[in-house]
Amino acid sequence: MMNTKNALYYGIFFLVLIVLPFFLTSNWISVMTTFLIYSVVSLSQDIVLGRAGMFDMGHAIFFGLGAYSTAILNMVYGWPIVATIPVAIILPIIASILLAAPIIHLRGDYLLVTTIGFNIVFTQALKNNVFGITGGPNGIFGVEPLKIFSITFASQKSIYFLAFFVLLLTLAIIHNLETSKPGRALHYLNLDSLASECIGINTRFYRLYAFALSAAIAGLAGVVFTLQFSAVSPGAFNFIQSVLFFTIVLVGGPSSIPGVLLGTFFMFVVPEMFRQFAEARYLVFGVAMILIMIWRPKGIWPVKFGRIPNYITKE
Amino acid sequence: MALLELDNVTKIFGGLVAVDSLSISIEKGMIYGIIGPNGAGKTTVFNCITGVYKPEKGKIIFKGKDITGLSPHKIANMGITRTFQTIRLFGEMSVAENIMSGRHSKSRQKWWHGIIHTPFYYKDEKENWLKVREYMELFGLTHLARMTAGSQPYGIQRKIEMARALATEPELLILDEPAAGLNDKERLELLETIRKIRDMGITILLIEHNMDLVMNITEYISVLNFGKKIAEGKPEEIQNNPVVIEAYLGKEDEDEF
Repeated sequence: MMNTKNALYYGIFFLVLIVLPFFLTSNWISVMTTFLIYSVVSLSQDIVLGRAGMFDMGHAIFFGLGAYSTAILNMVYGWPIVATIPVAIILPIIASILLAAPIIHLRGDYLLVTTIGFNIVFTQALKNNVFGITGGPNGIFGVEPLKIFSITFASQKSIYFLAFFVLLLTLAIIHNLETSKPGRALHYLNLDSLASECIGINTRFYRLYAFALSAAIAGLAGVVFTLQFSAVSPGAFNFIQSVLFFTIVLVGGPSSIPGVLLGTFFMFVVPEMFRQFAEARYLVFGVAMILIMIWRPKGIWPVKFGRIPNYITKE
Repeated sequence: MALLELDNVTKIFGGLVAVDSLSISIEKGMIYGIIGPNGAGKTTVFNCITGVYKPEKGKIIFKGKDITGLSPHKIANMGITRTFQTIRLFGEMSVAENIMSGRHSKSRQKWWHGIIHTPFYYKDEKENWLKVREYMELFGLTHLARMTAGSQPYGIQRKIEMARALATEPELLILDEPAAGLNDKERLELLETIRKIRDMGITILLIEHNMDLVMNITEYISVLNFGKKIAEGKPEEIQNNPVVIEAYLGKEDEDEF
């Protein structure tokens, strides 16, 4: 249930994002495009980590699978970009289910270590040019722009708005998720798995559901990421990237949409603003992260529960 | 045919026989009590029935179907729900959301309703929230709907947990020490509530330490000691059974040594 105050905040936020590229330099449009893409990935990471409470530190795998699917199908097999999008969504779903199914019952820390392992295997496979299609350590260059009918998404601004559109889509999906039976089930099994089972929630199914849904969204974000740079390389999807997405959710506020958006801004855009300070900015940045975790252990913008319709408390 | 039947159920932890060839039979519509000293294996019996533990031997038959060793969510979906000895609520969520969790298996939303909201979604969502409202009214929780469940006093939390279990519309409701930690007034209210639930046509199986409550409300009792059933019968019979008195208070002549 979205109240008027929230609607106003989102309205202002979207308006700022719409006018922003007309005032920014080319360099900053690029930063903001990546911000939009990373927001989508972080929101998808939040489905698994924040809502379902599973320590997935290999989320860059699904992001990378989406990105590489588009790049490989376009460059190696000559598919038009539009045709690659369904594959870039479905392949991460299949991968997430195959990876998660055998380990889904593991407790937090064990799951964490396993997913790190998967991520390392994934980037090693990319670097070693498996099946001769991933392009090795350098990746793949010269991916074509997206063409839908007669519109070509080639300019920087058009890709920015494409990323913006994908963010809107993701926000709509997550809003639908959190106000539905599957979305609530994720919170229930996160907070008390045994109690959830005993009221009839198939916790295994919903854990896999969280993985599959978040992999699909991350895969779609991967497509836009490939389009932004017309290229993919293994470094963008390594374990350190997964740590970034993981941290964004925890610093921003697990299960909280504004929290995750703020977290992405704080963890990605703010360091870019202080680029002139070179490595010194990371010192300040690291200390800030520590302080946030101490003072606001539930994130910058913690989640608020109680999303219940008004008619159930009124006569 | 009995609603729930335990046939020689045995549960072993390592070398300890927690439940030893237990057979009980619960008829539809009754309030059945299981009592016994601490460590007698009462909660273990509940955990076997609800699928949390898988018994080593024996069968559990619910409505004529063998449910032994099924996973808890399957058993819950067949119509058995429980409360816990140590309250297990979704503490950070609101009271209404906690009760809504009980509607999970009755709600007919499919996985895609978490992505796209169809007209069916709105209808189903409204139906279930209205049910939540009913259960909140039944337990007098309406004014707390938006409050965090975990910050409510103990007595209220017990009510929320019962409302959540009832929201699943079970045929058999299992209450694990429902009066633990309640004061006298709350205990009287609980008696009323349990009777109200029975009048809704729900069979109740409960473990309780509070003898007043058990003798007052149950229609049939089984007494466990060291995992074995040592007696069964109507409350009056149990009260005067020398074996039961011995299990609770010890043998009279023990002092003489």
